[in-house]
Amino acid sequence: MTETKRTSGERVLPVAVVIGSLLLWWGLAAAHVFPESLFPDPLAVGKGVVEEVITGRLFNDLVASLFRVTAGFLLAVVLGIPLGLVLGSYGRARAALLPAVNFFRNLSPLAWIPFAILWFGIGDSPAVFLIFMASFFPIVLATVAAVATIPMVYFRVAHDYGLTGGEMLMRVTLPAIAPQVITVLRVTAGLAWVVVVAAEMIAGRDGLGFAIWDARNGLRIDLLVSGMIVIGLIGVVIDRLLFRLTRIPSVRWGYER
Amino acid sequence: MIRSSMARWIVGAFGLLLVLGLLRFKPWQEEVVRPRQQLTVGFLPVTCHLTCPVTDFATKTSTSTRFQSQRFTDFPTVVEAIKGGRLEASFMIAPLAMKMREQGLPIKIVYLGHRDGSTVIVRKDIPARSLVDLRGKTFAIPSIYSNQYLVIRKLMEDQGVGADEIKFVQMAPPDMPAALAAKAIDAYFVGEPHAAKAELDGSGRVLYYAKDIWPHFISCVLVVHEKLIKEHPDVVRDLVRGIAESGEWAETHRLAAAKVASPYFRQDEKVVRYVLTQPKDRVSYRMLTPTDEDMLVIRDMAIKVGILKTPIAMSDLIDREFIPKDIRPADIDMAGAGK
Amino acid sequence: MNDKLLCLDDISHSFGGVEVIRRFSLDIEPGEFVAIVGPSGCGKTTILNILSGFVRPASGRVGCEGRARMVYQHDGLFPWLTVAENIALGLRHIGDPAERDRQAADLLELIRLRGFEGHYPHQLSGGMRQRVELARALAGDTDILLMDEPFSALDYLTRLRMRRELALMLEERPRTVVLVTHDIEEAAQLADRVIVLSDRPARIRCELRLDLARPRDLTHPEVVDGIHRLLFELGLEEDRSDVRGDVFVDA
Repeated sequence: MTETKRTSGERVLPVAVVIGSLLLWWGLAAAHVFPESLFPDPLAVGKGVVEEVITGRLFNDLVASLFRVTAGFLLAVVLGIPLGLVLGSYGRARAALLPAVNFFRNLSPLAWIPFAILWFGIGDSPAVFLIFMASFFPIVLATVAAVATIPMVYFRVAHDYGLTGGEMLMRVTLPAIAPQVITVLRVTAGLAWVVVVAAEMIAGRDGLGFAIWDARNGLRIDLLVSGMIVIGLIGVVIDRLLFRLTRIPSVRWGYER
Repeated sequence: MIRSSMARWIVGAFGLLLVLGLLRFKPWQEEVVRPRQQLTVGFLPVTCHLTCPVTDFATKTSTSTRFQSQRFTDFPTVVEAIKGGRLEASFMIAPLAMKMREQGLPIKIVYLGHRDGSTVIVRKDIPARSLVDLRGKTFAIPSIYSNQYLVIRKLMEDQGVGADEIKFVQMAPPDMPAALAAKAIDAYFVGEPHAAKAELDGSGRVLYYAKDIWPHFISCVLVVHEKLIKEHPDVVRDLVRGIAESGEWAETHRLAAAKVASPYFRQDEKVVRYVLTQPKDRVSYRMLTPTDEDMLVIRDMAIKVGILKTPIAMSDLIDREFIPKDIRPADIDMAGAGK
Repeated sequence: MNDKLLCLDDISHSFGGVEVIRRFSLDIEPGEFVAIVGPSGCGKTTILNILSGFVRPASGRVGCEGRARMVYQHDGLFPWLTVAENIALGLRHIGDPAERDRQAADLLELIRLRGFEGHYPHQLSGGMRQRVELARALAGDTDILLMDEPFSALDYLTRLRMRRELALMLEERPRTVVLVTHDIEEAAQLADRVIVLSDRPARIRCELRLDLARPRDLTHPEVVDGIHRLLFELGLEEDRSDVRGDVFVDA
């Protein structure tokens, strides 16, 4: 399948929006609509970014945040998909656990902060726990829904051709749910990245979220804005990366029908 | 197909985790040998807690117990960390320490953080000369468990302003200067440097220094878990001595103290310097022994405004056992300060 | 006991209190092409499911000597596998990879989809997909094809073409076929024996034998005649005087 070619307008417009926003920002700052120390101009923020890069703090914070997000998210994937498979396949387990999963899905991960500290102390583990809590339940629910909607005919065909047990799982169930699961992975990865800012409010020494809270405490709005920009950019990169999952040939069917 | 591409993704994901883990924990760097005892002490980046990072800095090179300062951004997290047994010593606002004690958490106040060091700021365009002029206005405080709130309530009483004539809002200290500039609030009372920030921005002016309302005002104290007192009294002794000597040093080396503390606070050194010098008695780090009289005043005010229910005994709350007899300024080597 | 390849003996079955099949018996000879037609909802598919072993009847005996494979209406292909991989499913029992590749190539040739082995089902037209389904079912050494309205999702012209292709494929790879369909033309054009079912619960209303080589033209007089007969039996056409009396055997 060939991608439709983007028109030149589609390429230029996003760049124009970015430049326009920067100009608006710079204009507001230059007109001193707000006190300078609370509303820094783009140049000050740029200097902030450079300062963070030179001291190595930015790289340090970036590694810390990415590590926590990756660990929490992978943990949620590794535990969530199997649980979703079990719940999707066994009616009894589903009846027993699905209401609980639904209940927890509705809780903001931030509400867990006191328990995160109680159980995991301070440092990396509570942040990993909060990111896990944010992504685990949506992944379970999406997997359950995907398993429950696999057309019966696939299992019949698999049976006709002698696929059993593990082969049935690896060659029918998993590929059949892959497109839906990939969609939820993209959504929850974004969610996990949002939660890291909040998760790192818990006393730590590093992380982009912590850098933002810390800049706020340290009355350094310029560093706060530079942190926001880095977080936003990394979020876009993560989504573009996971978007590539949908480009795997064997899952294309899920997006093109 | 599915196997190979999926397998590549799975390997990639765990590979990424591994690489990030390596970059984060740098196992190739040699483990720092720590033959000395070590204790983590919590603080917030406010000048009321200045002696904590100074003590951290001082014990980097000294031979006694190493005190590692752990910066927090809010008090609830500090409380949760202590309750969870992850933190055994921390600076915190005095009424909150009493509240924890009331809830049965075995902590003791072993020392004070500072004297004074809080400021009432009003918007520049409000010609207020006292709280009487702030009737009907919105007034921000860091927490109803803060001593600032208690003191303002006391002052309102003294000036004949009714309890409901000023609208109080609780707000995170770093948000106060912005809220004042946006005219969302009309005044606030908070620990430094969050008050000085509005002064430096030009959006607010000083209405009262803490010393004008209550000479030798106390907002923050050093609390220690009883478990630590029981198991490692020597560490607690070292800690109190370290904090006391750091305070004595900061009192006389204000510019140097700003230089040492600002990287720990991650604040602009100029702001910290301003607080420590403009005027010089805006905050003080002497006379830090917690007396029953001072604490009783705070306790009774707390009961009066309803944040405490039981009149907890001072003997349960305070432990003066570890305060050194004579306090000399800490011997601080300024090499490496400011980083 | 009998030596038939496939037999249903006195089968009854019901779903949730609704009787679908009552005392149904059917014998199928090796190599025979049997079509089952009848009003919709009369239990045709249930009979096929019983033959394949997917549904166990409430009473009666099922006999099946040989390996059976089902061809489904549509979407029976795994969308996550390529054409070649789907066909390879039917060749799983062959141990030697070279032999497997050779047979897969033969099958692609048979369904005239050379060059499409790397395509995914959603990239193919409906007719191409059903040809892949047929290839997968014909792969290896199965004996019986059970077809559940395999061409019903296709447009009319493609359906005509597919009937012809199926006939040619069976010429090359003879199988015993049971075809369930509501398409009377399809039955008359393909089957050696057409079984007309009654309304629920399904009983055999009558059988039509067509002794004619495949592929057959739709306009061949005997096919046309068969269509008339079937329509008449289903109560959709008046009786005609010119039909030959001997083709019907009353049940």
